Amino acid sequence: MAAAMASQGERAVLEEEFKWLLQEEVHAVLRQLQDILKEASHRFALPTSGSGGAVKQENFVLSTSGTDQVKGVMTLQGDALCQADVNLKMPRNNQLLHFAFREDKQWKLQQIQDARNHVNQAIYLLMNRDANYQFKTGLEVLKLMDAVMLQLSRARNRLTTPATLTLPEIASSGLTKMFTPVLPPDILVNFYINLNKLCLTVYQLHMMQPSTTKNFKPAGGSVLHNPGAMFEFGSQRYEVSHVHKVECVVPWLNDALVFFTVSLQLCQQLKDKISVFSSYWNYKPY
Amino acid sequence: MKASVPAVAVWGRTAPSHSVTAVMITDDQQTIVTGSQEGQICLWDLSSDLQISSKEMLFGHTASVTCLAKAREFEKQPYVVSATENGEMCVWNVTSGQCIENAKLPYRHTAIHYYHCSFRMTGEGWLLCCGEYQDVLIIDAKTLGVLHTLSSSQSSDWIKCMCIVHSARIQEDSLVAVSVAGVLKVWDLSSSLNSIQEKQSVCEKESKSLDCINCQAVRFCTYTERLLLVVSSMCWQVYDYCDFSLLCTEFCKSGQCFAGGEVLAAYRLIIWTEDGHSYIYQLLNSGLSKSMYPADGKALKETVYPHLLSFTGMKENKSLPSVMGFVNERKEPFYKVLFSGEVSGRITLWHIPDVPVSTFDGSPKEIPITTMWTLQDNFDKHHSMSEGIIDQLCGSEDGFGSAVVSSSVYIPGLDKLVCGCDNGKIFVTLGLETARARLLENISFLKGNLPYKVLNGHSSRVTCLLYPHDKSVRFDPSWLLSGGQDSVVICWDIFTGGILQQFDLQSAAVTELLQSPEHYRLKDQSIVYCVCSDHSVAILHLQKRQCLLHARKHLFPVKKIKFDPLENVLIVGCEDNSVYIWEIETGTLERHETGDTARAILTAVEDSEYLVAGALLPVSQDSKRNKNSGYKHSSSYKHGMGPYPAHAEKSSDKLTDTSCIQQPFTILPAKTKWNNANFHILLFDLEKLEELLSSQLNGLKSSKSFHGQYTLERAKSTTEKRALTLKRNKTAAFVPQADGQAETVCSDQVHRDNNAARPMEEGGGIKRWKKMKSSRKIRMQPSGNIDVNMATDTAKLLLSCLLPWGVDKEIDNLCARHLNILRLQCPVSFGLVSDENHLSLMLPGWKCTDCGVLGEHGVFNLFSKRVLDLSNKYLAATEGQFGQKDGHENNDYGTRDLETVFFLFSRIALIYRIINTPSAVTDEIESPQKPESVHDKWRNVEAITLSCPNFYAELPSSKSKYHSPDFGSISLLKLICCWNDQSVKIVEAMQAVLLAEVQRTINPLRKTAICREPSAIVENGNVSVLKHDKSSKSANFQDVEDTSDRYVLEESESPDDMKQHPWISKVCSCKVC
Repeated sequence: MAAAMASQGERAVLEEEFKWLLQEEVHAVLRQLQDILKEASHRFALPTSGSGGAVKQENFVLSTSGTDQVKGVMTLQGDALCQADVNLKMPRNNQLLHFAFREDKQWKLQQIQDARNHVNQAIYLLMNRDANYQFKTGLEVLKLMDAVMLQLSRARNRLTTPATLTLPEIASSGLTKMFTPVLPPDILVNFYINLNKLCLTVYQLHMMQPSTTKNFKPAGGSVLHNPGAMFEFGSQRYEVSHVHKVECVVPWLNDALVFFTVSLQLCQQLKDKISVFSSYWNYKPY
Repeated sequence: MKASVPAVAVWGRTAPSHSVTAVMITDDQQTIVTGSQEGQICLWDLSSDLQISSKEMLFGHTASVTCLAKAREFEKQPYVVSATENGEMCVWNVTSGQCIENAKLPYRHTAIHYYHCSFRMTGEGWLLCCGEYQDVLIIDAKTLGVLHTLSSSQSSDWIKCMCIVHSARIQEDSLVAVSVAGVLKVWDLSSSLNSIQEKQSVCEKESKSLDCINCQAVRFCTYTERLLLVVSSMCWQVYDYCDFSLLCTEFCKSGQCFAGGEVLAAYRLIIWTEDGHSYIYQLLNSGLSKSMYPADGKALKETVYPHLLSFTGMKENKSLPSVMGFVNERKEPFYKVLFSGEVSGRITLWHIPDVPVSTFDGSPKEIPITTMWTLQDNFDKHHSMSEGIIDQLCGSEDGFGSAVVSSSVYIPGLDKLVCGCDNGKIFVTLGLETARARLLENISFLKGNLPYKVLNGHSSRVTCLLYPHDKSVRFDPSWLLSGGQDSVVICWDIFTGGILQQFDLQSAAVTELLQSPEHYRLKDQSIVYCVCSDHSVAILHLQKRQCLLHARKHLFPVKKIKFDPLENVLIVGCEDNSVYIWEIETGTLERHETGDTARAILTAVEDSEYLVAGALLPVSQDSKRNKNSGYKHSSSYKHGMGPYPAHAEKSSDKLTDTSCIQQPFTILPAKTKWNNANFHILLFDLEKLEELLSSQLNGLKSSKSFHGQYTLERAKSTTEKRALTLKRNKTAAFVPQADGQAETVCSDQVHRDNNAARPMEEGGGIKRWKKMKSSRKIRMQPSGNIDVNMATDTAKLLLSCLLPWGVDKEIDNLCARHLNILRLQCPVSFGLVSDENHLSLMLPGWKCTDCGVLGEHGVFNLFSKRVLDLSNKYLAATEGQFGQKDGHENNDYGTRDLETVFFLFSRIALIYRIINTPSAVTDEIESPQKPESVHDKWRNVEAITLSCPNFYAELPSSKSKYHSPDFGSISLLKLICCWNDQSVKIVEAMQAVLLAEVQRTINPLRKTAICREPSAIVENGNVSVLKHDKSSKSANFQDVEDTSDRYVLEESESPDDMKQHPWISKVCSCKVC
């Protein structure tokens, strides 16, 4: 099966096949990849320059099925949350709290922006090698695929791994200042994307008395903090008393993730096809 | 004890692949710096007539290099910063090749600009970075820590490109940046210096959406101080910097993409494309709008349109993706140079005329290529230097003269080098002998008699080799495994050359052979994992001689293999973050998980054993991994404390003796990512060699009972030293455990451990060692046993590699005849392993431009012309002090050669230590208030503790104990420090000193050769003096060592203790003079 054993005729056939792979098959795969990724990019609703069309606004209702302690109505426009209404029923007195984004404020979901940028970079890499481009070596294809896969896996990782934040980081983020009426000091909110879901967490805090006998141990970074987590912010110590997490599936994020997975597999398959031939002869790089 | 180890690279015929991803020319136009996808930095000499020659390759990054930029004012310090895909950043000194600073941040930069404002800024300046994150990061150029960010108040996004606008007219330094969405942003720099230093948020001054996506470059015209060039992939545009109004747009030809541009002169631009073409445009003012005052009262509207003047292209229409840049220097000897680096590793230069003109008929004129060069060109040109390590073997056997090494492994315990070739043959040779045969001249007898074995078994390329006994004694010492392109794994008996077992996996090429980790103690099994290029994993049981499992379902390359001994399952982590769990008993796929579950599984079994399989690692990581593995088995602190002695007893006595003693000489095989070019790095452990040589010398002397007093003294000090080494070993071993990550253990610990490993093994453990402490004889034996010839041969090989040959023919001959230091066959590629696993290697053809004149006289291996001057200076400075010594050199004939070699060698080692360390010290002195970030604090402390004792020990010992001993040491120290300030490279200094010392020691030989009789009489009279002198010198030296050891010990126990500061100032004062 190896080069040493391959006969002259076999070799010629193999070389012919490799030529076909480079000239035809690679471009077919690249086109397919481009189509998929463009589809994915459209999902992110990048406001394309020149078109002028405003990005569609979508409303999502975030709630849990069992209790209705926290309910959020979010309006997502591309990578930005442009409206948010949070209803919170305090567990102690059943008092209903309501906050909304201030008119002038938007919250940028960095994860979506990053994923979108990564996809666009991948598309750009593929666009540079359109049908007219002649691949001369397999190595070239492998390098291109590596670069595309790097962008795609980063795009996917961005959506699948929300940032792990410490509580003081959440408290000091601009998010707390975006609401009207102003958030009470014992409430923290955080938005993030986890896979295909838009998530909202609301932390109810309880101020720790300086005289308390409890051991103060500040919590580290986490996507979702548990009740009992402690932190210090502005020389005041807090403990998380209640955590409410509500989420809602964003359909197009789901689509995008599927597109990422499919295109990553396509890329890997193309790489595998190319490397099969490396068993037969060594590439002459350039 | 010091991190750095001299290394000699033995390159192969093929140059390592270097797909250029970033390229720059330094401000002095003498060096081209390229970064590659493989993760290496290459330095190229650029001569004044624009000829290129590769100079050095810098290893250290583990991922593709994304950008390069200068990191200091270049006239002051020739530093360049590099950033990679995985967030690593390194500051390199591009004249010496040393890594100055490194860091790993969670940011991927795509562009870096150095900014320094001399009068209002403290520190070394800022690196303004942009990349795959929002807005702009400000990173300290010295510490590489994040200082602050420049943030956006609206539409914040990734920044694609930027430039610093420095304009006398505007009186303000600004940063102009364009985001991926095409929004142009301007930040004030000079007026926000204070707020940045006080960490207040700095928002952009202006933000304007341009109609361009995929912006590639933005440039400010410093000539007109009002035009702004914006290059996007589809078009380039010129804006008015005052109001950002569009002045002109030019679209690119179909099939091309613009990649960047620069302003050549007022109203003259150069724009380049992704495939290596460039266009020079003249912007013409439309006279119409200029002459007319607008009637409607608007501001004067000026339009410009471009006219193509000239263009540059690639030869043969061969256009490959490339990165380009342009240096525009107005100072006289400098040229305007357009440069490009291709993915193939080719560098192309165009000399752009000061006034580019079109042809007479007005059509654009082509500017010819000035120079083209690749690494391979250098390898071809200096083919004697790029000969592979076993090429002479392949040549000797007919029929396959061109066998290329495709994989290799060095077995330190047996000093065996195993090389697998492209044609399926495996060569087993002796490492040191092979290296000598490859590097030295006139040892054809050696070449002919070089013992080697050829193992025939594979039908095609040998892709990987594994000697499992190295890492775990569980494996039989005779086993050697090889995997081939033919999907066959063969287990060989390395001693007989016979095939013990052949596993035919019936799948794709074997890419990796890995062994189960050391303390996997479920069963006493010898299991090897085998990764194939079709992403399948096979488990081979060597004792049972069977393949336990062949897991074939993986869609993506295998990244991690873990073993869960409790469940008896194999957990395979793939590159797409999915996990496959295989039941070993039944061979079935139990689970396939992705996403969070997969991550959870991998972290859950984190504590149990795992191996990291990197199928296609860049060479740096490859070598790093090798280094680490070398570290693991050599340090043996685990073995020593764990189950090691028990195992040792099991294997044959003879083997444990040799295999466990760490050799002072190692061969590190390395492989590059794409073209599988194999090369080898010979590593010399100076400390170790010195110790070996001295003990050997000592042994010889004591056997002649020549200097009784000396021996005693030495023995005492050695004992002391051993004790210290042992203690030190404990602390050293402690550190990585505390860190919990053996991977980041820097190599100086490696070498300290190497040192320490031996005494422990000699005794087989601390307790046994203590018993033996009393009897010197037993203790001395093992170290002497290492193979007397090996140590001297290694030392001589290193000296050969260091000497400049042909400076004085007579000296050459005398060296070869009396000292048996043989002439080199060709210049060697020297390299330095500095701490933190950074390595720089010279490439074939280094400095050939510099030494061109001298080369005619047959001088070669001279690192630079400066060496000769330095050598003379050194001779002058140390004149007289060794005067009386010279006469005695040759009184003891038996040991004289060895003595001289040892003397020369210890000189080099000393120089090495001195010059290697003060940089850290001087840095400390220069900025005592330096804000030490956590990550380098420990390193700094260690650097000081390692460096200063040398000085410290040197000074008092020369004053207190002995009346007029090494007076030269101080002056020597001064001289070397002085050199260090003049940025003399280590290799230069070593070579200069060696040359001087050789001249001095050889000269009397010359005389005595003529008149032996009279000198003998003189000798008789001087014997006693000599004895004293000798002993004091050597003991003195030993004392130096001891003191330094003690210091290391103390300091490493209390790293935060800053009591060494008083004598830092001492060092300082001596440095100044």
